[in-house]
Amino acid sequence: MKFSTILTGGLTLCLAIGAQAATLDDVKNRGMVSCGVSTGLAGFSQKDENGMWSGLDVDVCRAVAAAVLGDDTKVQYKPLTAKERFTALQSGEIDLLSRNTTWTHTRDTSLGLNFAGVNYYDGQGFMVSKKIGVTTALELDGAAVCIQAGTTSELNLADYFRENKLSYTAITFDTADQTRAGFESGRCDVLTSDQSQLYAIRIGLKNPADALVLPEVISKEPLGPVVRQGDDEWFNITRWSLMAMVEAEFLAVDSSNVDNAMKNGSPSQKRLLGSEGDAGDKLGLDANWAYNIVKLVGNYGESFERNVGMDSPLKIARGQNAQWNNGGLMYSAPIR
Amino acid sequence: MIVFKPLAARAAPIQSTGLIGWMRLNLFSNIINSVVTLLIAGLLLMTLPDLIDWLFIKATYTGESQDVCNPDGACWVFVNAWSKQFFYGSYPLESLWRINLSLFVLFVVVAGSNFLPKNLRYPITVPALLFMPFIGLALIDGRLFGLEYVATDYWGGFSLNVLLAAASIIVSFPLSFLWVLGRQSNMPFIKTVCVILIEFFRGVPVLALFFMGSVMLPLFFAQGINIDKLIRVWIVLVLFMSGYMAEVFRGGFQAVPAGQYEAADSLGLSYWHKTLLILLPQVIKVAMPNILATFVMLFKNTTFLLIIGIFEMLATVQTALSNSNWLGGHATEGYLFVGFIFWICCFSMSMMSSSIEKKLNKSNV
Repeated sequence: MKFSTILTGGLTLCLAIGAQAATLDDVKNRGMVSCGVSTGLAGFSQKDENGMWSGLDVDVCRAVAAAVLGDDTKVQYKPLTAKERFTALQSGEIDLLSRNTTWTHTRDTSLGLNFAGVNYYDGQGFMVSKKIGVTTALELDGAAVCIQAGTTSELNLADYFRENKLSYTAITFDTADQTRAGFESGRCDVLTSDQSQLYAIRIGLKNPADALVLPEVISKEPLGPVVRQGDDEWFNITRWSLMAMVEAEFLAVDSSNVDNAMKNGSPSQKRLLGSEGDAGDKLGLDANWAYNIVKLVGNYGESFERNVGMDSPLKIARGQNAQWNNGGLMYSAPIR
Repeated sequence: MIVFKPLAARAAPIQSTGLIGWMRLNLFSNIINSVVTLLIAGLLLMTLPDLIDWLFIKATYTGESQDVCNPDGACWVFVNAWSKQFFYGSYPLESLWRINLSLFVLFVVVAGSNFLPKNLRYPITVPALLFMPFIGLALIDGRLFGLEYVATDYWGGFSLNVLLAAASIIVSFPLSFLWVLGRQSNMPFIKTVCVILIEFFRGVPVLALFFMGSVMLPLFFAQGINIDKLIRVWIVLVLFMSGYMAEVFRGGFQAVPAGQYEAADSLGLSYWHKTLLILLPQVIKVAMPNILATFVMLFKNTTFLLIIGIFEMLATVQTALSNSNWLGGHATEGYLFVGFIFWICCFSMSMMSSSIEKKLNKSNV
């Protein structure tokens, strides 16, 4: 414990000193954004049969590339495992980490990294089979719960049931596949995991329609892109690339009407798209940085529906990830 | 008066040839054997029909997406659709010939060492083997030959397993030989270094070494210096393999009779002449079965790279399983396919090794 603290502290110190290099210049020289993604997570960063990457996290990489280089295809995807991801960022192997990474206090403060925002509000939820006729998690007293061993979900589950004075039996499995098999064979009534996972597990069931994801979210898992600490210029670019997607949705600008909005839109649309004001200049980018993002990648809503929402096999409801004026948490600071 | 009384005909002897005889001899030779045979036959009868049904009869072979698959049978559509990824990773389609050419050259070099006449074998195949991995990797990388550059992020699939294993084996061969010479040397410093190297790389689990290569190593480089992940793990593989091979060679050295050392010394041969001309040929002959077994092990170990996010074949299967268009639970098909491909390769390697052993034994007489 002591040793690891010293090690982490020492490494952080070295990295804090070393991390002053201007990432923006590196990226422009290279002509490519090097982006850390997962080795495969449905809807977030996934490869298809032709080796093309897609997903909600991948769209953040594309948005940054579109903003900086004007071309969303200029991304080098670096598939990383959960253990490697922070080292790869710290050592400069990647410019940006967009790999379903939960924003926590420890990670933000002690790893020499900065979280640039939240592109998906995840949280632990419950999936039940429709047969048992439960519609809220508060009716789950005495349930048998399938869970993957060694995850934080296990602790959250215990907390939630104790808080609500409910009893349960945990049935633990080693891998996600076994957990699903356990649920399918009826060994448990409920399966608990992060919501985004639940939807992926549900598709894998023989009859996805028989399973229901309950509305309760019992933990906070804000996922977002991460950059190295100490390069504020690059941090701003990443943060505002994400914000621009969210703001574009709020202002009802999407990839199909962006050209029109740039010419004839409202003042705030024009400020976003660069036909008025100097938002791009202040970031050290072209005036049409946000135009490129919306034109090439789309706004946040488009990206969501295409990758994880109703236009995708996952069919995740917007829920917490809706715009703030629709009851969600997606909120962009104004571009002024 | 003597009356001719024919004896009653004797029963035919128990059949000892043909199928029935073979079964009697091997499957039903005593009670325990018979019981075990019946049990196993029963188990096979219980499982085999369902298995064949699932694998072949109810399986779906062609189609575009998983929607066409019969839920009661295997969905080979999945393997079909992803086959390019499984074998070549994301390597650009129009440049696939570069991988194929490298694999073909590797095959030719290996086969050549088997079929070339003896006097040509060493001068041609040894340099070819030593240079082949570098030329192959340069060809796939492309920059050296003025071809389109393909970054290692796009390499993957089964071809990566094969090429990585080949490149590690070929490089670790001379390296491990040097290590074992160092270990047997009577110069204390060299001996200590070699013993530490060998014991470290043999004693530490290969997964731990991979993690060191992928997670720890980059932290020790100066900012801005990035050695490609694939090269890092390749070095790890070479070192790991060398540790094992060195011990195999040491066994070979110890099996060479002491008289051979003494004879070489009394002829006044130098150290290198003695080692290369007298000992090495005998060592290789003795150690050959173990060397080949170690090769097979290393080849299978390349699938461990999946845990550090390198898209070799097994990792590609896992990636394919997590694609949202293929979330129908095709894990069984995917893993069976990988198992089948690896089994074919490893089995043919062991066939090859047993033929090499036979050849060596013959020349011993």
